[in-house]
Amino acid sequence: MRSHLTHLVVYSGIIATFFSVLTRRDRREQFRFGGLVWLSMVGGVLLLAYLMFAFPR
Amino acid sequence: MTETRPLAGRAADDVSPVRTAAALLAGWLVPGAGHALLGRVRRGALFFVLIMGSFGLGLAHEGRLALYSPREGFLTGLQLVANLGVGPADVFARMKVYGDAAYTVPDQSTAFYQPRIEKFRERQRSAVSAYGTAYLWSAGLMNLLLLMDIWDIAKRRKD
Repeated sequence: MRSHLTHLVVYSGIIATFFSVLTRRDRREQFRFGGLVWLSMVGGVLLLAYLMFAFPR
Repeated sequence: MTETRPLAGRAADDVSPVRTAAALLAGWLVPGAGHALLGRVRRGALFFVLIMGSFGLGLAHEGRLALYSPREGFLTGLQLVANLGVGPADVFARMKVYGDAAYTVPDQSTAFYQPRIEKFRERQRSAVSAYGTAYLWSAGLMNLLLLMDIWDIAKRRKD
């Protein structure tokens, strides 16, 4: 598996699930918090990548 | 936010120190087992899948199984902590990768030095090693967090 995007999605999924189950007890809260963490990680990286597009090596 | 005060009405069923220690040890030996021992079986099973999944992905992607080097003692020490957090699975991984449970960079005069360093560098040269390292170290660090969670559950600070 060499795709950056796949790793980003999978890794963020693992981390988001872990922290949502660790810190939240209510199922709805877990989904909400996990989704927020996952979106923040994936969205943050994509945003950063987009901004870095203006600064090629 | 996480509840940090003792939970109301739970004083009567406090976890004994022996059971707490057993849960901590079990949690380190097998990720999620400590939670299962304290009655959180489903949560423990999910943690096991997440941590061992991350660990497996790390190994499959040539993640770094850190070797302690006195030249960079602090950094390599922290890397070892992240690796060892996942428990004995780390030892088995090292035996498979290095041929023995290697945790240090051996002295250059010994016969172990060249093959171990070669193996270490070979894995680092892999195009996917950075991903693998992130998965591996995250697995160890997540399990260390779980040990703190076990402590909180045993002390009734968390449910």
